[in-house]
Amino acid sequence: MPTTQATTPRKRLGSVTAEVVEAGTPERRSSSANREERRTAYLMLAPMVVLLGIFVVWPLVYAFKQSMYQGNFYKAPVFVGLSFYKYVLTDPGFYQSLKVGGYYAVIVVPGGMLIALLLASFIKTLGARMASFMKTTVYLPTVVSAVIASVLFRLIYADQGLANWLLGVVNLGPKNFLGNASMVIPAVAVPGIWLGLGITTLIMLAGLLDIPESYLESAQLDGAGFLQRTWYITLPLLKNVLLYLFVTGLVAAFQEFLLPLLIANGGPVNASTTPNLYIFNQFRSATPYAMTFSITASLVLFIVLGTISALVFRLIKSEKAVDA
Amino acid sequence: MRRGKGLTALTLAVAGAVTLAACGTGSSGGSGTTAAAGGGVGTACASPTTVTFWQQKFEDYQQAWYKKYVDQFNSSQTCVKVDYKVVPADTWTQKLQAAQAAGNQPDVVTTNYGNIKPGVAQGQFAALDDYLPASALADIKPNVAPFVTEKGKHWGYPMLVEPSAVLYINSDMAKAAGLDPASPPKSWKDLVDWSTKLTSGNVKGITIASVATELGWSSWGLQYNSCGHFPITDDWASARATDSCFADVVNLYKTLYQNKLMPQNPKVGYTDAAPFESGEVAMMVNGSWALGAIKKDKPDLLAKTVVAALPTKDGGTGETTATLGGWTLTLDAKSKHPKEAAAFISYLAAGDPNIMADFFKQAGYSKYTTRTSVDKAIAANDPSTTQDANMKTISDDIVAHGIAEPVYPWDISLAMGTAIESGMKGTAPVDAALKTANDSINSTIQKQQLKGTAPQS
Repeated sequence: MPTTQATTPRKRLGSVTAEVVEAGTPERRSSSANREERRTAYLMLAPMVVLLGIFVVWPLVYAFKQSMYQGNFYKAPVFVGLSFYKYVLTDPGFYQSLKVGGYYAVIVVPGGMLIALLLASFIKTLGARMASFMKTTVYLPTVVSAVIASVLFRLIYADQGLANWLLGVVNLGPKNFLGNASMVIPAVAVPGIWLGLGITTLIMLAGLLDIPESYLESAQLDGAGFLQRTWYITLPLLKNVLLYLFVTGLVAAFQEFLLPLLIANGGPVNASTTPNLYIFNQFRSATPYAMTFSITASLVLFIVLGTISALVFRLIKSEKAVDA
Repeated sequence: MRRGKGLTALTLAVAGAVTLAACGTGSSGGSGTTAAAGGGVGTACASPTTVTFWQQKFEDYQQAWYKKYVDQFNSSQTCVKVDYKVVPADTWTQKLQAAQAAGNQPDVVTTNYGNIKPGVAQGQFAALDDYLPASALADIKPNVAPFVTEKGKHWGYPMLVEPSAVLYINSDMAKAAGLDPASPPKSWKDLVDWSTKLTSGNVKGITIASVATELGWSSWGLQYNSCGHFPITDDWASARATDSCFADVVNLYKTLYQNKLMPQNPKVGYTDAAPFESGEVAMMVNGSWALGAIKKDKPDLLAKTVVAALPTKDGGTGETTATLGGWTLTLDAKSKHPKEAAAFISYLAAGDPNIMADFFKQAGYSKYTTRTSVDKAIAANDPSTTQDANMKTISDDIVAHGIAEPVYPWDISLAMGTAIESGMKGTAPVDAALKTANDSINSTIQKQQLKGTAPQS
């Protein structure tokens, strides 16, 4: 495989290489080497490009084509152009679902990250044996199936469930967690945070352990307290980890549909119908254009999520750590 | 939509179901019908043709009944093998849509009456007239035939009829609250009063549908009772959900919910009788099938259960408060083996009347027949069925005045269900919720080009 040195012609006096003699001028040699290199690069990229083409690009193109044909599985599809984009973009349900997805993400992502940061900081202070026990404990919810968690939390939120029993003990209950439009998303967000806590905490902990101890020690010697050390040293050096967790968490939370589906079935009155659940409901509704509508809504959501991710990356640029 | 016409037809239904008078054109189903009744399918072949049958999951005894007779059909001949699958109700549509998208949809499925005509409009079903013997089609009671007939052909074979909303009262609890179960609530006001008196501590006065998908269909009878029409014009040209009579329906649900006379977060769906069986509620609104569930699950509760027609808005009697739902077997338009699949339909639903008679026996006679010959078989096998007081109430006071399920697309019913849920749970003022439903119905009319497409049968 050619090395990067080959891109700049080496002009060592008295040591003209056989390559150069064969290839003619150094310029020509360099361009042929470039070609060689490009070919290698393309060859190595080819499998990924082919796979992306088959599993991402072609389905997208095909979905776009399908979104312009109204039809069910029994009649020949009819070309309707971009009508369905109009239907989706004028459907109040679609915007409502975007709001719900945004609201859920705003609770789950920062909330989950804050709790994970506190937990990780706490685990970092523990001894080896205790830390490994805590790591296992924190990671446990991750291996719980979201379906089982949903059933559990449905029972917890029931009229005579654990949550209302606890509220009853302190004379605050009972609350209608799943039947009240303003409470349902926070209620669904609790298992959402709980299920994601394990991985977030471990990544956060890895980031914390990467911060050189000497920085924190010298800051401590200069009289910086815990909060100052966290604000001026820990958080800036965790920036990339936080950015990664924020973007992936935001996109994942925005796309959550299993928890609201199983805990509240998107209700009451679509108050917990997240964008994916909205699309899913459109797909499984017994309307003659369910397929076209749900494909179109998916494409629109794809654009929305892409835009959100791009915005986040623009606003918060990742940087190399100072000592990297 | 179908005022008057439905009533006359259903009065006939009861005459058929209860007094067992032969109101049909007679039966020729007879006993001993074999798979060969499907026409052109033999009983001995070298290798069987496989047809797939998906059944929506119902009460446990139904699954047992289906399995028994699918096995019996498979062992009765060697030409057709039925591959039988039970699909839970809440995943039914997406599973079916996914199978249709992949081109491997089942040959035969259970379809409810409400989905027959929209399905015909979409070209989803094959007409059974080409495959079933004329005698099997003639056996269908004349009042049920319109539910499955469109353009002069039969698109599903009806199996049963059941009212979707019946009031169940726990007589012990009613007496303890100083109420007389022998004179159940008549008006919506009475219903609220009863629910209030019966609510104490953790026991709620009543349980009724509370989510849009269930309100969408279980409130049809109340909508019709309040307005005398459904929330769309008869020619499906425009919505009329903002009529104040629909607000009355929403307000009934709202009162029950906001005053905490019903569970705020029900653990189970509308069709499940569990809260009534376990004594968590004193009254229950549920379909007639719940009576069968009580007979199976808690026979000792049966003596304490009083059944009544759901109250009417102003307390009048002899009015519609329930629609008649029910299930059919349909043949997929894209089935590769329509003849063999129809042979199975013919065997199970349209053949030996004793097969369906066994079904009604398993159901504790909480559902109603659709075939004259099955009535005769029940009368011969189990004459005691006419003695049950609760059954008589359902037949005389509910089924007799019931109307067929509306056949407009489900989106319209769901829009109304959403409006009711929205009003009852206070996510929007009642009028605003109905306005939203009205807009949604008009949007459906426009998107699905419904204007002027209402079936005329």
